[in-house]
Amino acid sequence: MSKLLNVRQAHVRYPLSGHLMARLTGNHQAWVNVVRGVSLAIDKGETLAVVGESGSGKTTLVMALMGLVPLQRGEVEFESKRILQGPRGRLKPDRRRVAMMFQDPVGSLSPRMTVRAALAEPFEIHAPEVKDTGAEVARLLDLVGLPVEFADRYPHQLSGGQARRIGVARALALDPALLIADEPTAGLDVSIQGDVLNLLSGLQKRLGLGIVIITHNLNIVRHVADHMAIMYLGQFVEQGTSEDIFRHPRHPYTKALLSANPNPDPDAQSARLDLAGEVPSLLNVPSGCEFHTRCPFVQTDCQESVPVSREAAPGHIFQCHYPLKED
Amino acid sequence: MSCPPVLPVLEVDRLSVSYRTERGDLKALRNVSLQVPRGEIVGIVGESGCGKSTLISAMIRLLAPNAQLDSGEIRFRGEDLLSLDLESMRALRGDELAMVFQDPMTSLNPVLSIGRQMRDIQYRLKESKADKNARSMRMLEKVGIPDPQARLRDFPHQLSGGMRQRVAIAMALMMKPSLLIADEPTTALDATLEVQIIHQLKALQAEIGCSILFISHHLGVIAELCDHVVVMYAGEVVETGSVREIFHSPSHPYTRMLLACDPGGITERTKVLPIIRGFLPDLVDLPAGCVYRDRCDMATEACAEQKPELKDLDGRKVACLLTAESL
Repeated sequence: MSKLLNVRQAHVRYPLSGHLMARLTGNHQAWVNVVRGVSLAIDKGETLAVVGESGSGKTTLVMALMGLVPLQRGEVEFESKRILQGPRGRLKPDRRRVAMMFQDPVGSLSPRMTVRAALAEPFEIHAPEVKDTGAEVARLLDLVGLPVEFADRYPHQLSGGQARRIGVARALALDPALLIADEPTAGLDVSIQGDVLNLLSGLQKRLGLGIVIITHNLNIVRHVADHMAIMYLGQFVEQGTSEDIFRHPRHPYTKALLSANPNPDPDAQSARLDLAGEVPSLLNVPSGCEFHTRCPFVQTDCQESVPVSREAAPGHIFQCHYPLKED
Repeated sequence: MSCPPVLPVLEVDRLSVSYRTERGDLKALRNVSLQVPRGEIVGIVGESGCGKSTLISAMIRLLAPNAQLDSGEIRFRGEDLLSLDLESMRALRGDELAMVFQDPMTSLNPVLSIGRQMRDIQYRLKESKADKNARSMRMLEKVGIPDPQARLRDFPHQLSGGMRQRVAIAMALMMKPSLLIADEPTTALDATLEVQIIHQLKALQAEIGCSILFISHHLGVIAELCDHVVVMYAGEVVETGSVREIFHSPSHPYTRMLLACDPGGITERTKVLPIIRGFLPDLVDLPAGCVYRDRCDMATEACAEQKPELKDLDGRKVACLLTAESL
């Protein structure tokens, strides 16, 4: 496998602490399955976007890849080597090679550390041989397009966009091969959102980074991602190249997500697919096709039989009994 | 809107607000004027730092202690809110003037049941508890909450984010206010829910006949929901008019850039997204001339000297020297 990151059938579950639930099910320990059999692959220099509503399990998936929560089952290969699991079932990726950008740009920086200290920290932990961290800090600030004077600022003195840039700089400090970005543009103004995304794709071109973006903003996915995966209740219901999926989504859920974005043109007549209700609880997953409770095209057999994975085109996989026709 | 047929519900007239800071007065709002006509939905759009929050706080008289009103009036049904005593102001809030905030978790009380909070809102009515509960249930039903009777016993943490925001909307509209101020009510929600809630809000608005002042930075949401739009930049109104006119042919360079930056409006795949270069001006030490000129691609020397006034231009108002000349 030449792929940078290869995930096969990843499962993540969290324990339920309710004693009542444990008593009712007869288990001493009850679990909620949050990620249920997810497979993905990403190559050097590619961007994969994982898209889904809140509660779909997308953040849990990347947390498991980073080794922040235990992986129950599944195999993860990074740079053709299997990542081993630690004593508590957590993956132990090489943190110098896999970096993460967290959702809240200001919250993920310590309020008591200057930008300089925050950017020097990765070197102190992982690369004590680097003596001149000052030069590295200057290099990183330059990389993300901030003046060197920013090194003396504290997080509260940064705007949202600047804090985001520091997050990028910190993630790239040790020259990783893979960057995982959880909602990199959440909470940013539209005029700055483009700035952060341009920065990421520019750096990707220069450094050959693989990027996994977690987002629910489909507007940006079209522009930044080569591949995308749509997640619903802990599973990928459709995955493929962004181009294919935007042109002809097969799964009604994908179509609904794509059409749910309010268009800035007041006269736009969008063929909107409205979904009823909200995402069902993971504790009470619907039978058959799990999307049937919200699907506008539901048929009787959807309620009973689970759809198998089908391939629309090479690499374009979906799970639906009645895939959508091209419009 | 040269001559409104009836008195507008809300009229902000040349409002200026500043905050006293260590560095000097921060002029957060300067000469802001806008109108909310009866029964219509007006959107305010602008990025962080444009003064949206200061404007709303001034309307409901909840400005921070270091804020000072420099000049102007806010007339609600002809009455100046800024000169009302606090007792009469409190009588208006929640009754004639209702609010929905961005984060429903912090606007609902976590230790009181939904039913209790919804009864409390009706404290002005001399009715029995059962009558009040019945009204709460009808309201919850209208905002699309299934099984409202059971929900009355629930606490906010037992509801999903979308459900909580629906409860907040139900509470705001329960007393049939003449004006609802909604401050980014859908920003924290998924796109599919956002669309559902916008449609519901529109239907309820038509039913109750109230006006809505809707604050958002999401251009698509404004386009879909509002009749009129007010574009703010750095504490000033730069352009205002009907949604259709402004979104189809924006006049002010800032409005143009804002629309151009929205990735939702860019259907061709691009790796480099447009951005607005530069930063907001320092509101403590404002430069002379146009506030937007440092970031404007079309700025001339005149822009640095002369301050553009909000002028009528084919049924809309624009504050730009260039568009007034070129058109």
